[in-house]
Amino acid sequence: MEVTLLIQATDDSFRILEDAREQAEGLLTTAVKITSETRQIEEQKIQALFKGAQETKSGFQNFIATFFILMVFWTMLSGKFDLFHLALGVICSFLIAFMTQDLLFANTRVGDIRIIVQRFIAYIPWLLYQIILSNFHVAYLALSPKMPIDPKIIRFNTKLESDISWVTLANSITLTPGTITMDIMEGEFFIHALSKKVADDLNTGEMEDRVAHVFMEADHIYVQDVLDVARIYGALRKHA
Amino acid sequence: MIRQSDDIIIGTVARMLVPFIQLFALYVIMHGHYSPGGGFQGGVILGASLVLLLITHGLPETKKLLSEKGVTILSCLGVLIYSGIGLLCLILLGNYLDYGQLSKILHVTPAEARSLGILGIETGVGLTVMAIMFSIFIDISTGGVLPEDEEE
Repeated sequence: MEVTLLIQATDDSFRILEDAREQAEGLLTTAVKITSETRQIEEQKIQALFKGAQETKSGFQNFIATFFILMVFWTMLSGKFDLFHLALGVICSFLIAFMTQDLLFANTRVGDIRIIVQRFIAYIPWLLYQIILSNFHVAYLALSPKMPIDPKIIRFNTKLESDISWVTLANSITLTPGTITMDIMEGEFFIHALSKKVADDLNTGEMEDRVAHVFMEADHIYVQDVLDVARIYGALRKHA
Repeated sequence: MIRQSDDIIIGTVARMLVPFIQLFALYVIMHGHYSPGGGFQGGVILGASLVLLLITHGLPETKKLLSEKGVTILSCLGVLIYSGIGLLCLILLGNYLDYGQLSKILHVTPAEARSLGILGIETGVGLTVMAIMFSIFIDISTGGVLPEDEEE
């Protein structure tokens, strides 16, 4: 009698456990689905935001930005701060900004130009560190008696989108000794590498990731990018 | 006839450098009486910036910035500024290009009048040199044949 009761009790407890496990699995799967969907929606929102920010850049804004950059350049060159020379600088900067307003900022994708400038300044020390490292490597290659070089040409398709980031990546590659960018054909980089180590360093793609981070490319959105964009997004939502 | 370069690196870097080259040229013209430089040197740098734009972006793009008509007008305007200031000094009972006489018009001391007169002269020289450099380069690169003639 007690035995049957015990068996029933264990059966019931097992059934309850099964039900609870199924419920928990269902909850987890729905949670994962919801988070992935919200992430997709957020990414779509951010991409739309980038496109909007690109379209709102007018010619007049480019003109003003060019004027101020040229004015700073003029004061650096001139070093004279009396009224006459500053007035000359304003006139010259105004003329050149009026003539070449569509040259300096042509078809650059702009999320927020201030963030891009900050990140670019933060990118320069890392680039200098890489240049010093590869300098030592190339010096070792040149001075060792065996000369263990293995020249080859690397091709890879880049994931970057704007031409300004392509040019930044190409010049960063050229600046580090041992690698030279030969050509860019429709998003495919042709790079001459001096040895196997240098080629492996390039194939890790760290430099490309950092350049993408600097120019806020939408292909792979970092958490930092989302945080940076949140401010612009709030401002845009106020307008709408 | 020069067409637009299809190399992305060359095009982008040239595009970003041209405004700074032109501003440096104007700085060289304006500070010619304190430091090395002057009208001719600044004009050559200006012409070089236009030539850089021409060989990277092609002739049609550059003509938006400075057309054939503009070249003619600017080269004549530079000579006009130069000779005009000289004749103005002659009219004011001085010698040709005797800037000290300009102080009667400008209400400044003769020394300042000389400085301003030199600045005007340098500007005229720079304009003419830029326009002539650019027109020489266009004539050599197109072989004297204008693109309108090629289309016909």
